[in-house]
Amino acid sequence: MTAQIILLVALVGASAWAILARDLLKSAIALAVASLLLGIIFFQMGAPYAGVFEISVVAGLITVLFMLTIALTKQGGDVRESKVVKIAFPVFFVLFAAIDVFVMKGVLARIPAIAATPEAGTFGEVLWKERSFDLVGQLAVILAGVFAVLALFRKKDHHD
Amino acid sequence: MIFLYIGLPLAVAAVLPLAGKASKKVLPDLLSNAVLAGLLVYAATGARALLAQGPIIQQVRWFGDAVNIRIALDGFSLFMLMAIQLVSLCVALYSINYMEHYGAKANYHALLLVMVAGMNGLVLSQDLFSVYIFLEVAAVASYALVAYGLEAEELEASFKYLMLSVVASAAVLVSIAILYGMTGALGFDEVAAGLRLLDANVVVGVAAALFLMGFGLKAALMPFHAWLPDAHPSAPAPISAILSGLLIKVSGVYAITRIFFHVLGMTPALSQILMWLAAVSIVLAAFLALGQTDMKRMLAYSSISQVGYVVLGIGLGTPLGVAGGLFHLFNHALAKSLLFFTSGSVQQATGTRNLNEMGGLAKRMPWTAGTNLVGSLSIAGVPPLGGFWSKLVIIIALVQSGEAALAVIAVLASVLTLWYYLILQRKAFFGKLAEQWARVKEAPFWMTAASVILAVLVIGVGLWFATIFSSWIQPAAETLTRGF
Repeated sequence: MTAQIILLVALVGASAWAILARDLLKSAIALAVASLLLGIIFFQMGAPYAGVFEISVVAGLITVLFMLTIALTKQGGDVRESKVVKIAFPVFFVLFAAIDVFVMKGVLARIPAIAATPEAGTFGEVLWKERSFDLVGQLAVILAGVFAVLALFRKKDHHD
Repeated sequence: MIFLYIGLPLAVAAVLPLAGKASKKVLPDLLSNAVLAGLLVYAATGARALLAQGPIIQQVRWFGDAVNIRIALDGFSLFMLMAIQLVSLCVALYSINYMEHYGAKANYHALLLVMVAGMNGLVLSQDLFSVYIFLEVAAVASYALVAYGLEAEELEASFKYLMLSVVASAAVLVSIAILYGMTGALGFDEVAAGLRLLDANVVVGVAAALFLMGFGLKAALMPFHAWLPDAHPSAPAPISAILSGLLIKVSGVYAITRIFFHVLGMTPALSQILMWLAAVSIVLAAFLALGQTDMKRMLAYSSISQVGYVVLGIGLGTPLGVAGGLFHLFNHALAKSLLFFTSGSVQQATGTRNLNEMGGLAKRMPWTAGTNLVGSLSIAGVPPLGGFWSKLVIIIALVQSGEAALAVIAVLASVLTLWYYLILQRKAFFGKLAEQWARVKEAPFWMTAASVILAVLVIGVGLWFATIFSSWIQPAAETLTRGF
């Protein structure tokens, strides 16, 4: 229990650091740390597949992509953040933390649930046989992502 | 074979970039239009005939083996499919000329088709998690399409849209997780059956609030509307048309309606919340539209206001109210797409969206001015156009249910709507032609053709409203009101 609380607090801390860090590289690293912690929490809560995906894809692959992009980006063209953002984040952070501490435990305890039935099959069976329609959707999201990259990183025609 | 609505656009989108290598413009235009025209014809004929025997649940087969893809078609989803294919086809036609100068047409059409596949998938889905996935499919494609011009304004609008949309998706996902945790199921019917076994009014209320926030953001219902007045005007005109005409309705209004009616159940409290949020949207967005000088921004605020009417009718929950809401959804989809087309034509011809710089353009762009007038009058609710009948049905339904205050608000806001559309029409098209626009030409053929098709449809829906209402709208409304 104590380990879990430490992990959760560290997760929130790393996430907040990712948002507050002024340096993009530090921000990307903080995000990777947050993902790693989340992956460990997934493992502990009995969701090993979610943990594997979280650590390999989000903490690993996506962090590499972020680093590459940051390395390829030139200096300059800083965007000044409005003061509202600087004030809004801490306010919302404190608000959510308060809700979390005082309300969530009580709410979660009161959620009624139908007794869980045994798992329908292995992870692979569930993914390929039970959720086939979602795989079509996943394919479509990947297609959309690829086309989005092709479209947004295209060289504009000379008459644009 | 209703899986075609998802599979065909996706398959064609996947090969479009390759087709674009062989032919940069003609083939992408041709393929995209052909797919959408085929699906429209299928929705109007084949699928409708299938539905005559009752709702269809289709089990997809792959080389003879059953694959666990269960999609369902009922009166409501068929009605939405018709609206999606119709507006998307007009958008693809309009894009033939409009997207010429943007370049990379194959990519553009691929994204458009993925977005259509996402919307079709959402409409045919029978499962909460699939709704979320297809919501994201349409959303990811739309982020890229909003930023398609790559100008700073477009990129900023797309980023703002992305950020708020992610918050919406997160709220939807949390709500789905809560319902899954309680019932151990994701299918609409299974979750509804599970919730009936549990005494969980408070938690269902929390889930409903999260859905309302998530889908309310997608539908740009006030107070969740902040992203729309930036995103919709910044996008290329055909994309503004499909976003305002379809996407906010499919990923916002359709999803919330389906879930509230078929999964959570429409309670009187939920009904009141929806109706009052809608009323606030109708009035405030109408006032905000009134103060705009940017033509497309005015249309964007008008969309927020008109989606309010749709939600007002559906939120009322009576068969007539729901029918009125759905009818207005259809009328607004046609008329608002038309208005974004005409505003795109004006912007392309003059290079500006500022109404104060325009004037007298009807002399140089008679087709654009005429079709713009038809769209404006329909949305404002002037008889005998489509928008008049749908607003009338909503107002009658409100009066019948004893919601006189909301009926009065709906009528008065309609006057406001007429006011700002007359301002738009007068400033852009009437009056003396400014000297700098003396050489302006009418929009190219396909842009004008798409606008004329929609204008004819707007007039046609108004003239044959009784037939359309009884053959398309009422079956859709009946599916909803008897569903739970």
